Amino acid sequence: MSEGALPKDDAVLRVDDLQKSFGGLAATDHATFAVERGTITGLIGPNGAGKSTLFNLISGFYEPDGGTVEVNGTDVTGMEPYQVADHGLIRTFQTPRKLEGMTVREAMLVGPRNQPGESFLRLFASPGSVGESESANLADAERILEEFEIDHLAAQPATDISGGQMKLVELARAMLAEPEVLLLDEPVAGVNPTLAKKLKSQIRRLNEQGTTFLLIEHDMEFVMDLADPIVVLDQGHVLTEGTPDGVRSDDRVIDAYLGGGA
Amino acid sequence: MSALTDPKGAIAELTRPEGWVLGVSVAFLLFLLAALLTGALGPTYFLFLVGLAGMYALLSFGLNAQWGFTGLINFSVAAFFGIGAYGSALMTASGSPIAGGYNPLVGLVVALVVALVLALLIGIPTLRLRADYLAIASLGLAEVMRLIVLNERWLTNGSAGVRGIPGFFKGWPVLSTFPETMPGIRLEVIPGSPVILETAFWRASLNVLLVLAFAGAVYFVLRRAHRSPWGRVLRTIRSDEDLARALGKDTYSFKMQSFVLGSLIMALAGVFYTHLNLYVGPGDLDPITTFYAWVAVILGGSGSNRGALFGGIVIVTIREGTRFLNDVALPIDPAPLRLLLIGIVIVAVMRYRPQGILPPQRELIWPSAVDGGGAPETPDSGVRERKGGGGDE
Repeated sequence: MSEGALPKDDAVLRVDDLQKSFGGLAATDHATFAVERGTITGLIGPNGAGKSTLFNLISGFYEPDGGTVEVNGTDVTGMEPYQVADHGLIRTFQTPRKLEGMTVREAMLVGPRNQPGESFLRLFASPGSVGESESANLADAERILEEFEIDHLAAQPATDISGGQMKLVELARAMLAEPEVLLLDEPVAGVNPTLAKKLKSQIRRLNEQGTTFLLIEHDMEFVMDLADPIVVLDQGHVLTEGTPDGVRSDDRVIDAYLGGGA
Repeated sequence: MSALTDPKGAIAELTRPEGWVLGVSVAFLLFLLAALLTGALGPTYFLFLVGLAGMYALLSFGLNAQWGFTGLINFSVAAFFGIGAYGSALMTASGSPIAGGYNPLVGLVVALVVALVLALLIGIPTLRLRADYLAIASLGLAEVMRLIVLNERWLTNGSAGVRGIPGFFKGWPVLSTFPETMPGIRLEVIPGSPVILETAFWRASLNVLLVLAFAGAVYFVLRRAHRSPWGRVLRTIRSDEDLARALGKDTYSFKMQSFVLGSLIMALAGVFYTHLNLYVGPGDLDPITTFYAWVAVILGGSGSNRGALFGGIVIVTIREGTRFLNDVALPIDPAPLRLLLIGIVIVAVMRYRPQGILPPQRELIWPSAVDGGGAPETPDSGVRERKGGGGDE
């Protein structure tokens, strides 16, 4: 899709000199990189490289010790997660989150941001507008479930579907939040190959429709096939960044993964 | 009994446990009716029991709005109940050590405002933290409130309690003099055991009217809220707060709304109690009230408004039903028996039906969207009933 060497002046997400330590351990060590609009950017690195910490910093779940995070040109550093989400950055989690007692359809409807019906007073002051938006959201949810080919699950309890299906539902729900940039934390971990292929084609389709992705993934084949550019993280800092082929042949990356040279 | 407040719920749509509850409730009502007609149960006392059941239902509704909807652990049900009770008692009673003598509507407003302020004071520091902190703080609050009521005599009369509380409808047109103007009625359905309806009966029927109005309004509000996107965010927070935050929901604000709403409903239960009992004392703030409300919500099914209503009625049945055992020679006293029975009920529910008797079962989507939108016409029932509903590959 894009060549990794492009100047990043159209960055939807910009991470600058981000730092976070737990005790004496620098989990994120002056990390700097940008995610260009329209890309599927991969974030890889050996276990403990600080990928999930970085996700938590970007999405507002952790407060950084230093550095800044910009979404769509707005400095979101230190904001609450819901505020970061309001600026268009939505994230998923490594282990699918279970919504007890909800059907898949209900779980989907949590996705849309700032629904009129989320205001308690409006439930009584203008129930009509609540109904309208709920109808529209319901139609959107069913359409997206169809596009994901999981509409047959709509009435299933959200906790009774397989792990892979949960990942699909999570991605589908995130789309209802209309993200500018979507952070996926290991979208195919523990997912069987058929569903993984399905997830890959969905991510590609959504990307072609305009959603920017930043994804953490351990499955090298998956990430190398899907993402470009790829950012390599090691011990909390950005080791290198480039096309899949460039990263694959980089000696420093091989060293980091094999533990050599440390 | 739940069917009374839910006239739309068609019998055909009932799930099996709902059918059971309906059947048992109807049988229980018939039993009560028989007891009334034979004179075994005084009609005035019966109405008092109905009022009490309504009060417990209100308390359960309040806790359900906090724990059932959002997963907030509030151990200060008795404190908010006490604020409602004392707030209105101190404003309206002739024996009030402070103001006193105001219209009960003023008492209602004052009680709710005080409960609102207190809920905010407790909520602000604790709701940003993990669930455990609210539990601990609320436990402390309950005890602080009880001790304040017991010791601050200039404000509350201390252990003597507050007397001289008027009925809620004092000063209202028609309703304030209604019990006195009604004639005594003598019914003799079964020959030889007449039932006489006097002023006390009509006074009690006013109380029932009041609690029905309170509980009906609260039920209407909670039902609508539960099926709304607002309620859906609360349920998301209950399952996974981080997920709600990641999807752009200001969870602190939602938790605060849920906490305040629940606390106001509990205070409302207290206001009603004041005008039902016409006396309030520090004993009304004992932790047992909190305990009863929790049992009612868990028994009925956390998150379910109908369940809370059902749980409240069961609590009153156990609490008051055991009084009749005084007549029967029993080796143990009714008071400990009451606790024993409730203990057995909890153990049985946890063992055989941990989700409660009437858990929320239907898809909770805003009604007009389901009726008019593309969703199936009959919402899927029994979401929680099914285990491993198939469809997994």
